[in-house]
Amino acid sequence: MTTPARASALIFALTVFFAGPSSAADDTALLKDLTSVIMLLGLPCGQVISAKRQADNDHIASCKDGSRYRVFVNTAGRVVAQKQ
Amino acid sequence: MLVQPAVRIIGILFFSLAAGCAAVKEVPPSVMTQTGPVVADLSLDGSNQDRAVAAEPLRSEAREEATVALAAPPAGLRQPVMISGEAIGVEPVAGAPTQPWSRRAAKAAPPLAKTPAKVFISPVTIDQPRKNEDTLPVARKLEPPLDVAALKARLRDTNAIGVFTKLALKNQMDDLLKQFRAHYQSGQKTSVASLRQPYDMLVLKVLALVQNSDPSLARTISGSREAIWGILADPVKFNSIT
Repeated sequence: MTTPARASALIFALTVFFAGPSSAADDTALLKDLTSVIMLLGLPCGQVISAKRQADNDHIASCKDGSRYRVFVNTAGRVVAQKQ
Repeated sequence: MLVQPAVRIIGILFFSLAAGCAAVKEVPPSVMTQTGPVVADLSLDGSNQDRAVAAEPLRSEAREEATVALAAPPAGLRQPVMISGEAIGVEPVAGAPTQPWSRRAAKAAPPLAKTPAKVFISPVTIDQPRKNEDTLPVARKLEPPLDVAALKARLRDTNAIGVFTKLALKNQMDDLLKQFRAHYQSGQKTSVASLRQPYDMLVLKVLALVQNSDPSLARTISGSREAIWGILADPVKFNSIT
């Protein structure tokens, strides 16, 4: 294996190593954030287990109890959770 | 023959007698005097900030022993009160004898309770009876002034809650402020007690969200709860901040 190839492999490995955990941490923070929002708005959820981003500040949150909400910021600047 | 051992014995006796006389001048270690500086230990615990360490009261029997065993300080002796090694004032010694000890010893001693003969008196903490106006300002409970701007900044900057949650909380706070404003503008003479429950609920929500990840902020919010309510419940203060 040549030196450039080794360097490329090393860079790729490091990128995968550090990018994986950071995105996982972001996902965890987002799920926690969405869980808190739905709880604050007084809607049944339990815990958000997955979220799908639709646009900026617009996500579809899937809850542990099976319910799904669209959580977004409306034009008035209010956080809204719409049951899907 | 027998003279030399006798002389040696007499010499040893004289030496031990002289050593005993020299040792009389020293204070026995079992009894401590009160002539040292009185130290008020005001080390505060974070969880209980209004509690100064209580000094152990000096028992009367121990005080009697100390005065009998030692030469008393002159009448009117005043000692510096120390806080963390720094003299801050001068206080008269509580229970300091104002008479020579020989006259005190001549008095009939009261019957002692069942206490051990030797009592160790801690030199560090001696309770000094003071009047209320003499209370040290450091020892008083100081209510920190509410800094609304700082609290808002801390809530905005904390990592304990996410962006959506912060925005949702802001929406709910704005809604509550609108209710207060509507109440004051309607000119009702009734109190704002009806708004106390939603206010408490909102504070509890914030505490629940923050307490695990930012306990310091949670403590600050919890401690400021009544102060914030005092502002909201007073129309003049409320109008001044909104």
